[in-house]
Amino acid sequence: MAAELTILTGADERDLTKLDQYRAIGGYAQLEKARGMGPEQLIETVTNAKLRGRGGAGFAMGRKMSLVPPPDKRRSPAYVVANADESEPGAFKDREIMRRVPHRFVEGCLIAAHGIQSQNVFIYIRGEYLTEYEVLSDAVEEARAAGVFGDCDVVVHRGAGAYICGEESALLDSLEGKRGQPRPRPPFPPVTGLYSGPTLVNNVQTIASLPAILELGVERYSELGVEAAPGTVVYSLSGNVNKPGNYELPLGTTLRELIFEHGHGIVDGRGLKAIIPGGSSVLVFTPDQIDVPLDFDSVQAAGSFLGSAAVIVVDDRACMVQLGLRGAKFYMHESCGKCTPCREGTRWLVQLLERIEGGEGTRSDLDLLRDVCDRILGKSLCALGDFAVYCVGSYVEKFYDEFKRHVDEGGCPFDGASSIDGVLAPSDTHVHKHLPLVPA
Amino acid sequence: MSSVELVTLVVDEVEVQVPKGLGLVETAAAAGIEIPVFCYEPRIGPPIGACRMCLVEVDGQGKLQAGCTLTAQDGMVVRTAQTSEKAADGQNATLEFILVNHPLDCPVCDKGGECPLQDLTFRYGPGNTRMTFPKRTFDKPIPISPLIALDRERCILCYRCTRFSGEVSEDGQLIARNRGAQSVIATFEDEPYRGQFTGNVIELCPVGALTSTPYRFEGRPWEIQNVPSVCGMCPVGCNISATTREGKIKRILSRNHPEVDGGWLCDKGRFAHGHLEASDRVVDPLRRAAPRYDELSWDGALDEAEALIRGAEGRIVTALSGSETVELAFALGKLLRQGVGAHSALLPEPVDHSYDAYTAPLSTIREAQLVVVLGDEPVAERAPIVDLWIREARRNGAEIVRQSEGDPELERRLREADRAVLIVSGADGADVARAGGLDRDGCAAFRLPQTANGRGVADAWAAAADAEAVNPEPIGLLIVSGDEAAANPDVRAMAEQAEKVIAIGMFRRLIAPWADLILPGTSYLERDGTYVNLEGRLQRIRRTAIPPAPDEVAVVSRLAERFGVGLSPHPAQVFEEVSGICYGGLPYGEVGEQAVLRDRVPTSPPAGDKVSDTRHVSEGPGLRLVTYRALFSGPAVERVPALDFQRPPAEVELSRDDARRLGIANGQTVNVRSNGTSLELRARLTRELTPGVARIADEHATGLEGRVEVSA
Amino acid sequence: MTATEFHDRVQELRALYPDGRSAVMGALHLAQKRHDGWLPVEALEEVADAMELTPAHVQSVASFYDMYHLEPVGRHSIEVCTNLSCALVGAQAVVDALAEELGVAPGETTEDGAISFRLVECAGGCGYAPVVVVDQRYREPVRPDEIPALVEEIRGR
Ligand SMILES: Cc1cc2nc3c(=O)[nH]c(=O)nc-3n(C[C@H](O)[C@H](O)[C@H](O)COP(=O)(O)O)c2cc1C
Ligand code: SF4
Ligand code: FES
Repeated sequence: MAAELTILTGADERDLTKLDQYRAIGGYAQLEKARGMGPEQLIETVTNAKLRGRGGAGFAMGRKMSLVPPPDKRRSPAYVVANADESEPGAFKDREIMRRVPHRFVEGCLIAAHGIQSQNVFIYIRGEYLTEYEVLSDAVEEARAAGVFGDCDVVVHRGAGAYICGEESALLDSLEGKRGQPRPRPPFPPVTGLYSGPTLVNNVQTIASLPAILELGVERYSELGVEAAPGTVVYSLSGNVNKPGNYELPLGTTLRELIFEHGHGIVDGRGLKAIIPGGSSVLVFTPDQIDVPLDFDSVQAAGSFLGSAAVIVVDDRACMVQLGLRGAKFYMHESCGKCTPCREGTRWLVQLLERIEGGEGTRSDLDLLRDVCDRILGKSLCALGDFAVYCVGSYVEKFYDEFKRHVDEGGCPFDGASSIDGVLAPSDTHVHKHLPLVPA
Repeated sequence: MSSVELVTLVVDEVEVQVPKGLGLVETAAAAGIEIPVFCYEPRIGPPIGACRMCLVEVDGQGKLQAGCTLTAQDGMVVRTAQTSEKAADGQNATLEFILVNHPLDCPVCDKGGECPLQDLTFRYGPGNTRMTFPKRTFDKPIPISPLIALDRERCILCYRCTRFSGEVSEDGQLIARNRGAQSVIATFEDEPYRGQFTGNVIELCPVGALTSTPYRFEGRPWEIQNVPSVCGMCPVGCNISATTREGKIKRILSRNHPEVDGGWLCDKGRFAHGHLEASDRVVDPLRRAAPRYDELSWDGALDEAEALIRGAEGRIVTALSGSETVELAFALGKLLRQGVGAHSALLPEPVDHSYDAYTAPLSTIREAQLVVVLGDEPVAERAPIVDLWIREARRNGAEIVRQSEGDPELERRLREADRAVLIVSGADGADVARAGGLDRDGCAAFRLPQTANGRGVADAWAAAADAEAVNPEPIGLLIVSGDEAAANPDVRAMAEQAEKVIAIGMFRRLIAPWADLILPGTSYLERDGTYVNLEGRLQRIRRTAIPPAPDEVAVVSRLAERFGVGLSPHPAQVFEEVSGICYGGLPYGEVGEQAVLRDRVPTSPPAGDKVSDTRHVSEGPGLRLVTYRALFSGPAVERVPALDFQRPPAEVELSRDDARRLGIANGQTVNVRSNGTSLELRARLTRELTPGVARIADEHATGLEGRVEVSA
Repeated sequence: MTATEFHDRVQELRALYPDGRSAVMGALHLAQKRHDGWLPVEALEEVADAMELTPAHVQSVASFYDMYHLEPVGRHSIEVCTNLSCALVGAQAVVDALAEELGVAPGETTEDGAISFRLVECAGGCGYAPVVVVDQRYREPVRPDEIPALVEEIRGR
């Protein structure tokens, strides 16, 4: 079913990190095609293909491109920024794309640049992806040497370990050499972005989808996936499944198919307890939602978000309080510290969850926990605060009895048997030892 | 300026009309409605939406919005906490989160009683705390300099202080470290926060996290008075309010004059008031009985002064400081010139009135398209706030050109830019200003004087009589007015020659042992009167503290009686007299709390006596030496130990180009030589210096002159 | 990399961007390489000088990101991801095995300064969990019983 692929196409058969191999399957031909069309026509094609962002927010890429003012209406140059900061817990698809089809991604970047008539592409890759950085940089050099860039240039910029830098405006601050903290929006990047120039920020996978759209044409591309969101997506499957990994499938594939066919079911035939459909930052599903199709609208209709299509499977050995606590520690550690509700709220969540897991909690602590969630939700500068609440808050709502038992029975009902019992987080080890310690 | 588009919107059911794009906070205020804020402070740049105190409900937006980041759009419907449950709850939530880790140590906090956090919690906050965990703790308070204490537990991370350091003064020294809940405000490796403007962060901090070390525990808000006045430390004349308690000055705050200082102060103006309590302050008249000095009664002192003046038979020279009020300078002038025909004076500095043709509010600089800084004396050391205006202009997109001297090309560019400002700092600029046609609208030229009121003093002295000065030989009596004059080497040299010396000053160690009669002086903080700043703006200074000795004007007026010269002891009346002669009869009462700038005075070239500031230096090998009087120097600063760390380090500033040519790295110790003298100094590389120049503060350049050789 | 080589590399980096300040992260990565894997005060000053920024600003940036180390680290690093996906499949057992084998707790460096042992947030290997990162290279997956051999291999480097 290779025809079903639009992103990892051909990667199983050949080493597509090499330019000649990529060229051999028609690589960079779509860039030529794109440059053949006028920018408006290109944007129109992307719009008609209903390509929606794969980075989390699911915003229509064509729409975003059209928000970038044309050259005659610009005060400063426009930029394309590829968001390769992939740090969403559960997501590892961009990494595979960059490692296996770097040229397709680079081709997509150049196509996007042509669409908004920009001469500068910046790829912001998370610092931990060193191997991917090297593979990608080699591909960029190879392509530059082969002269496919034309009057456009591509710079690969390494991050240095900060989840928040995946948030587009924080990414831009980081790329400008500042602390990666989100900016108030509006103005949005397409109007005022990098160096306050119009900037198109898109996720690696979104961009890597462009060549296929041009190759297949809007019609054939639209035959893949669902009506409202055509195309394929690389699902990252992880957790307690027999065959975890990345699976490129049409949008709208059901959780059941992904987990039980492609993932070969739950390990040791354990019971399915919870499914996180889009990375740790979305609301949790319960087993009864196993037939939800994984596309933007269906998942949202079912009360969560497709996010980065990273599906985390949780079997019946895991304590949801512990899972929530581990999640909360992540958001506390990654909160940038700029806005009050996120900075203070995530820390408070950790303190409350620790008390509840430790058996010291009361019913009123549970109420307070929910209330703190409400008070963070929708009030922080960027969505990180909301993400913490989607994670912790949805565990509390969907597994309230388990939380209640913790306070009523004065401790964790799993009594040490939970699969994630006592798991430590970086925040437990004080990464910034040299500076004033914050007891959390 | 084209007429601004007005938009109509509704805030809490109140309809308001405001210019499109006006900030929502200001818009609401226009409707008489408060949108509470912490991090929002337009003077330090665009909003950052960090604290979330300003949450409001906007029709059509699902989420609450940070009001501080929004601007007025037509048809917008906004609900603040007054009319929106949701907004009220949001603001309440923000305050709860802020207080979760706030120590609530208000009883022992200097901010108590004048603290936005207290006030907003009172109006919008939760009544109780639900936080039952140990709060974040840090060592507290830690000095981030001898002037400023930081209490990290109180900090609410609004980033006002760090934005000031990064985006207003651009010193980049006060920063945030770490991430998330571990974020703290800090300096590099706990080095002191040095710079001309550090104290402003104290006023910006909305809580008690950044407090003034000199002011710590000095007074509660209900025990103090704030007296409006004007700073007398440099020619800018920032508007201040002096916080006093029991007649003593406890601190100096800014009193925002949008045209002059934009609400900022330099650390000299803010912290040097400690010199009022100097241990060597002269409080009684003293007569020299070498090697001692005897205290005199005031009548005795006046007899003595009269005798000295009469004894000199007109062979009198008066050396002025430029810190005298207009009234004092006039009083001295009237006494000596009309009383005994002693017309010759050593004025603090030359004044070039031709600049009156190009004057404008300093705030004009902010709007400029082209700013030319002519001359190599550092602006921030001469007139600190002007440096802030220039930086703001740069951030607004202005081009900043720095040159040692004018040239035709520069004049052309000044002519062609549609908003050009010339700032002259130790060079000849009058002709450049004229050639640049800077009397156009939106343009301006400023010459940076060296003394706070050199202009006013010159005006007043000239107004006192109109007879030619004849320089007496030998000098029978030298009258030294003020400590700056007393500290001036030329004046000292004259004192050596003079048969007798009367000195009026504050600091004994400066005047003894060379003066025959010492009369106690007062500070600008202890006097009533007027100053003229570098714009030519006449400003009112007030007696904010009780001086240990009578006001000089009163003393001079009693002395004047003895010479049959009629002179009021009251500055107000003295001013009316001067004003009639040189300030168009402007009444004292109308100088006002926020003084206005007089209109430009068109001058037909060449204007007045031509003044030259350029120190001509022969061409040759090496670099041209530029020395300057550091902001943090002089008699007052020397008497405030807390300011020692601000004294100029032993550095030589070099342009990056020269440094590269000479193979000199930033921070490296270099050798600086000129005929015979050779000094070891630390090299500091800067882009704000024209190539070919080596710049050193006076006190570190002793013995150097002309051109210097610099080598690694 | 000598000081001058470093300085020149940083100038090249600055030239890549419309505003040279963007190069500060790259400069910090380079400086860290030059200074045994961490950023002593001299390193921050070196970066500040080459970037024409204040050391304070550089420290502010460096302290924001997890990969810049502001205190000494071992010659090698072992990092274990303990985020949700790794935790669910036994990351903590790997952490315990490492603590046992190395004789130090996560966040610490072995006595001999050979190995720094750290926990990290999601490394992006969730499908091949538990993920262990050795000197910035991924090992996926790693089971507790493979730890002794792994540590021995690293010590042998
Ligand atoms: C806290 C946070 C983290 C994010 N992390 C990522 C990320 O790692 N990769 C990514 O592509 N988008 C991430 N996003 C979404 C980006 O802000 C942005 O929406 C996306 O890059 C746009 O690209 P797309 O439209 O192609 O999805 C994150 C958003 C938030 C609020
Ligand atoms: S110290 Fe004061 S001004 Fe600075 S961030 Fe903290 S609260 Fe704001
Ligand atoms: S005042 Fe608006 S977020 Fe701080």
